[in-house]
Amino acid sequence: METENIIEMLHITKEFPGIIANDDITLQLRRGEIHALLGENGAGKSTLMSVLFGLYQPEAGEIRKNGEKVKINNPNDATALGIGMVHQHFKLIDVFTVLDNIILGAETTKLGFLQKKEARKKVEEISKKYGLSVDLDAKVEDITVGMQQRVEILKMLYRDNEILIFDEPTAVLTPQEIDELMATMREFAKEGKSILFISHKLNEIMAVADRVTVLRKGKYVGTVDTKDTDKQSLSNMMVGRPVQLQVEKTPATPGEVVLSVEGMTVPSHTHKRNAVNDVSFQVRKGEIVCIAGIDGNGQSELVYGLAGLEKCSGGSIQLCGKEISHCSIHQRGENMSHIPEDRHKHGLVLDFTLEQNMVLQRFREPRFQHLGFIKRGEVRKYAEALIEQYDVRSGQGPVTIARSMSGGNQQKAIIAREVDRDKPLLIAVQPTRGLDVGAIEYIHKQLVAERDKGRAVLLVSLELDEVMSLSDRILVMYEGEIVGELDPKTITVQELGLYMAGAKRTEKEGKGA
Amino acid sequence: MKERGSTLLQKEGTKSVLASLIAILIGLAVGAIIILIVGIFNPSLGIKGALEGVQLVFGGLFSTGRSAAGALTFGFNSTNMGNMLFRATPLILTGLSVAVAFKTGLFNIGAPGQYLMGTAATLILALSIPTSVVPAPLVWVIAFVGGCLAGAIWGCIPGLVKAFLNINEVLACIMTNWIAANLVTWLFDNGSLFANLQNHVENTKTAYIYKTSFNGVQTAKLGLDKIFPGSQVNGGIVVAIIIAILIFILMTKTTLGYQLKACGANRHAARYAGIADKRNIVLSMAIAGALSGAAASLYYLSGNTEFYWTSAYQSLPAIGFNGIPVALLAASHPIGVIFAGCFMSMLDIVGLQLTNLTAYNEYITDVIIAIIVYLSAFSLVIRMLISGHKKRKNAKVQTVAATTEPLPADTPPGTPPDTPPDSAAVEEGGGEA
Repeated sequence: METENIIEMLHITKEFPGIIANDDITLQLRRGEIHALLGENGAGKSTLMSVLFGLYQPEAGEIRKNGEKVKINNPNDATALGIGMVHQHFKLIDVFTVLDNIILGAETTKLGFLQKKEARKKVEEISKKYGLSVDLDAKVEDITVGMQQRVEILKMLYRDNEILIFDEPTAVLTPQEIDELMATMREFAKEGKSILFISHKLNEIMAVADRVTVLRKGKYVGTVDTKDTDKQSLSNMMVGRPVQLQVEKTPATPGEVVLSVEGMTVPSHTHKRNAVNDVSFQVRKGEIVCIAGIDGNGQSELVYGLAGLEKCSGGSIQLCGKEISHCSIHQRGENMSHIPEDRHKHGLVLDFTLEQNMVLQRFREPRFQHLGFIKRGEVRKYAEALIEQYDVRSGQGPVTIARSMSGGNQQKAIIAREVDRDKPLLIAVQPTRGLDVGAIEYIHKQLVAERDKGRAVLLVSLELDEVMSLSDRILVMYEGEIVGELDPKTITVQELGLYMAGAKRTEKEGKGA
Repeated sequence: MKERGSTLLQKEGTKSVLASLIAILIGLAVGAIIILIVGIFNPSLGIKGALEGVQLVFGGLFSTGRSAAGALTFGFNSTNMGNMLFRATPLILTGLSVAVAFKTGLFNIGAPGQYLMGTAATLILALSIPTSVVPAPLVWVIAFVGGCLAGAIWGCIPGLVKAFLNINEVLACIMTNWIAANLVTWLFDNGSLFANLQNHVENTKTAYIYKTSFNGVQTAKLGLDKIFPGSQVNGGIVVAIIIAILIFILMTKTTLGYQLKACGANRHAARYAGIADKRNIVLSMAIAGALSGAAASLYYLSGNTEFYWTSAYQSLPAIGFNGIPVALLAASHPIGVIFAGCFMSMLDIVGLQLTNLTAYNEYITDVIIAIIVYLSAFSLVIRMLISGHKKRKNAKVQTVAATTEPLPADTPPGTPPDTPPDSAAVEEGGGEA
């Protein structure tokens, strides 16, 4: 007898030392539905899915498949039950080919020899059926992130999984790739496969999911039909208080020029063209200028060039009237603070404590050192003040190891540090990436407040919503060049999309205004 | 340091010490078992010999020989004690050399080369500056500083190669080790530049001997010879301990140490923050090299040691490599290195006691040392087990921390979310990071 619910997770409780990650959570997945799991960072979404996938054993509760109680001790059990998972961080072997990765662990063999031909045929059939084209002989390290995700999806399909878990699948994709993924997911659902979709992006959930289960701080909040709800009420459920989705800000009153870039060129490491090619623009006091564009069009290199992390091969950069293109990173830091794109690579020393991270640039200041000896007390006091003021939450306050903090709080710590350095130019690169609505709201408010204090803010963002709501001026980057300068008040998202895709560009004289 | 912070750090410290002690105990126990097995199957030893061997493994340092009746006697042995400190001196310094590099994210396997360069510089300076013109203590200082500098320069080379060409320091270190060996050959071989510094007094020996006391240059005893009569101990151990304390202060209290550690823990973030990452990599290798150079200086300046030279190097000085287990056993903590160094030299003494008093040969202690080295790497695991156990116990007491990290799906089951990964465990050491 076919039950309505293919998978039921009933009253699941999973404790970790010091924290109850899942507290009596019930999740029912219907056959053929796309079921979203929504929650802030640390709400327990990933833990719940890891329980389902056999990575963790719950302390209480049970899992049923087709109404029958099952025990999932490890991922192999999960696979045997037809449960497949695309992890947030892909589990692929970089130096293997796509085909080898797909069949790994489920190889067809004959007398101990691999039967790749049959496997290839099956993979080709699947990929044709769902329009998931990949080059089976390419090495994983050579293909794009979007392609790698397809490989992960093909892996699940190859194993004939009928319950598919997607853990934040869109975090790494471009808008186009997201659309394709959504279409594929709908296709799967139509076929009768059941999908669990973990996300905290409300747009995507509203677009693709049938039902949503909301978790908050490890607890079950509720399950709703997407057609009976809207973004606002979902975000309220998720955060537990009314959240402002729209950024509130007054019109900008730009003052004098703080950053003036002329003909800046940065060579690329990956291809022969320049990553940033002859780019000119200005940022003034009291305005937020946003660099929009699809990931990989030179935005990162532009910022590296400005911050001094990457050498420019040409052009001039004037910061506060001073030419800085040949200055060291340290010298540039005198007038610039920088919220980096990659908070783990650049933003924090993860094995340092929070307080040590808070003075990463400032430890040389007389306030924090005397004759080369660090004034521990001062550092502690300063860190405590920042933690208090910016509401950075962590297990042990200033002595928490940065690695053990949640992503949102790591980002808050970086923002606290950079904003408090109080420099005329603030560069923020994807400051809200991977964060939940509560944190995003907070960071947006901070950026607007900085603008209103008279700082020049250069924002790099891939999120169209963020670009449209936060910026006072939009510069669109395409293949290393600025192809348009736009006014967010007059431009539509569709038109912006055309600029980002390179289908449209303003003429040269529009540049550098 | 107050409240939560200090109690936590103390706990971390105790955990490190406990883990190292457990590693040592298991190592000694396994060593004892091997001694037993070897003894039982060796007719010249038998069960009695085997049991004596085990006694010596644990109490070799306090062995005072055999009584008239032929039984092993134990008690305070000033010679053993003093010799342990004497032998520990260079081990502490090469241990520090490796530990400093570890703390800054580098693996200094170049200690033997740096040690050799320190040896060469120290001997040349101590023997070629006439003590009739320059007072001997000053020559001592010059030779010591020269040895440190030579080591520092040798350490710089892999550092520079790493910083500017991004070539792994391990490769560069291995190569510079052998370059140093050949350089020393070239410097000291018969007919070479410094062959005239050979000690011709002891002409009964066939090889070339370089002994600094020949020129009247040797480390002051600082009264240690009164405390440990009959041993080779000298002021070198005091110098080594002072250096260890200085390194501890450098790494934990100063901006320089902060920068070095930041570069080691995350070179990209350090660079982003305007810290000169390249300079710091070179600097930390230079400090590591200077420490290895100092090890050689103190060893050869001691007055009772001679540089015994026969022909070109076939292998590198073991004392350089032995810095690695010392640093591991001490979890890279500078103060811990003092004790780890003493412990390793104690095992040497045990080896000697075994050879002198029983039919075992000294190589059996090499086996024990090897086991302990293996287990010292294990001390990280032991440490994690200790903390895992404690955390699980406390888990129920604590309340839900709303802000604790979301548990990543790829964490192995049962791993507490806030357990630092291995690298962090090394970093923490016994004290403040």
